[in-house]
Amino acid sequence: MSIVGLDIGSRFTKIAFFEKQKPVFRLYDSAKFYREFGSITDNGFLLDFKKLNLREQSEIVATGYGRERATLAGATEISEIQAHTLGAIYLLRLNNFTLIDFGGQDTKIIRVESSEVVDFRTSDRCAASTGRYLENMARILGMKVEELSNYRDNPVDISSTCAVFAETELLEKMAMGIPRERLASGVNMSIVKRFLSLIKGFKNDVIVASGGVANNKAIIELLGIELQTEIKVPPNPQFTGAIGCIEFWDKG
Amino acid sequence: MRYIGITTTIPVEIIFAAGAVPVDLNNLFISNKNRENFVKRADLDGFPRNVCTWIRGIYGTVLGEGIKEIIAVIQGDCSNTHAMAETLIDHGVKVYPFSFPYNYDSKALRSEMERLAEKLRVSSWDEIINWKKRLDRIRQLAHEIDGLSWQENKVKGLENHTFLVSTSDFEGNPDKFEKKLMQFINDAEKREPFENQVRLCYMGVPPLYGDIYDVLEGYGARVVLNEVQRQFSMPFETDDIVEQYLRYTYPYGAFRRLEDLKLEITKRNIHGVIHYAEQFCFRQIEDIIFRREIGVPYILIEGGEVFSLDARTKMRLQAFVEMLRSKIVNSRT
Repeated sequence: MSIVGLDIGSRFTKIAFFEKQKPVFRLYDSAKFYREFGSITDNGFLLDFKKLNLREQSEIVATGYGRERATLAGATEISEIQAHTLGAIYLLRLNNFTLIDFGGQDTKIIRVESSEVVDFRTSDRCAASTGRYLENMARILGMKVEELSNYRDNPVDISSTCAVFAETELLEKMAMGIPRERLASGVNMSIVKRFLSLIKGFKNDVIVASGGVANNKAIIELLGIELQTEIKVPPNPQFTGAIGCIEFWDKG
Repeated sequence: MRYIGITTTIPVEIIFAAGAVPVDLNNLFISNKNRENFVKRADLDGFPRNVCTWIRGIYGTVLGEGIKEIIAVIQGDCSNTHAMAETLIDHGVKVYPFSFPYNYDSKALRSEMERLAEKLRVSSWDEIINWKKRLDRIRQLAHEIDGLSWQENKVKGLENHTFLVSTSDFEGNPDKFEKKLMQFINDAEKREPFENQVRLCYMGVPPLYGDIYDVLEGYGARVVLNEVQRQFSMPFETDDIVEQYLRYTYPYGAFRRLEDLKLEITKRNIHGVIHYAEQFCFRQIEDIIFRREIGVPYILIEGGEVFSLDARTKMRLQAFVEMLRSKIVNSRT
């Protein structure tokens, strides 16, 4: 029997499982995932194993926003906090750390001691410091979101606390002729700045970053400078939650 | 019958003594089938969206339900109530302002109560005291239900919440309300106690989302302390009505509330605290103090606009309960 970790995020759905001891990762747009890879039944959302190219007898452990919106038929469901924590512990072999999960529409900070969650905080309802914000800003800059991670120097100040107004602010600065590189650095820095008020009060002895935004090297570096510590990022940080789901099953 | 709306708990004895019927506007709003429309009415009339749903809802409820007179607490609650009351005056509603003195001065409170009694044409102070005695007997029943909740573990969080929150206006009919409480106590005493639950304190103003209690119970946790709702029931023994409304913590700032909270959290063996505050509410500033001082695991949740828990808040609550549970397990081993 194979165990499949499923993390249905607000933006992307992440699937992870092990095949011949090697992790396999799959990424789907969440909207597309709901539309095309399953159907609504009386017992909740039923995954289409065939279409997802998963073995029929797979055991599903699920987390993410999706599991609150629609029950997954036949799946074991765990909270995102638990999933990300277990994933980080497994991937980095750490027991005491502060985990930052940069998600598609919110950010979570989780304090782990002796492998247990002892405290956590999540950003408020506004999405202005998350993956979707980065996507929007990259689009305005005419860049791929991956490209943003090349820029960290001489950031322009983006002060709007609202993701929508920040887009307008970016447009204004483009009109002023500020170079694209500085604007891109500014976008990265704006994420870091908003995030700093959230992490206040959490220990910064060991910091781990997960979620799609952790792929952005500039943000990780800038954050490390602000927090005066090295930030550890697991391989494939976007799949930390999905790996945590598998870990949950394995731990029994 | 003369109905008088109240924006929050006030010395309700005065209204009864005036021969009128108190109507807690919060309760009337939240239990109303038109509640969404009441909020919408406020929006259309120009209330900013960063004013809490309670304020907008009360405004719409007063107009929608045709309430002619209200007592508005303009000190000891929030300044938005003050401005909302002014907009109601503009609609021809008779507004009696009431202030809980921030400096906690008993003379000031007494004179405020006397002024209200005069405005409502209460014949004598004794009449008010007689009503206090009458209502205290009913409050005692509400305290029994609270005890059945945290001591005997036989009452659900929502049940406890509902009875306590109704002691602000005694559902407009003390006799009927009293019978309801007696009947409930009679039934609840026969129940089997809940077991192995994470014990929670719910602090802050009553929630917009009524499903929070059941959702938490679904996660294996139960609210055994409803902070402000319990305060509405005047959980103190005193014959002095002025002292009663001085000991009532809600209008007097964070530190008085904190004192009461800390005591009850220890007494009731609470594992974690959920602090509810409305979006954009000044109480989110007080959260800084509560978070630092409360002494047990703590989470702030926000309410606004919607009347049932959103997916994100559910996720946070579930993770909070999971965390508390693992702490309990670890402390036992």
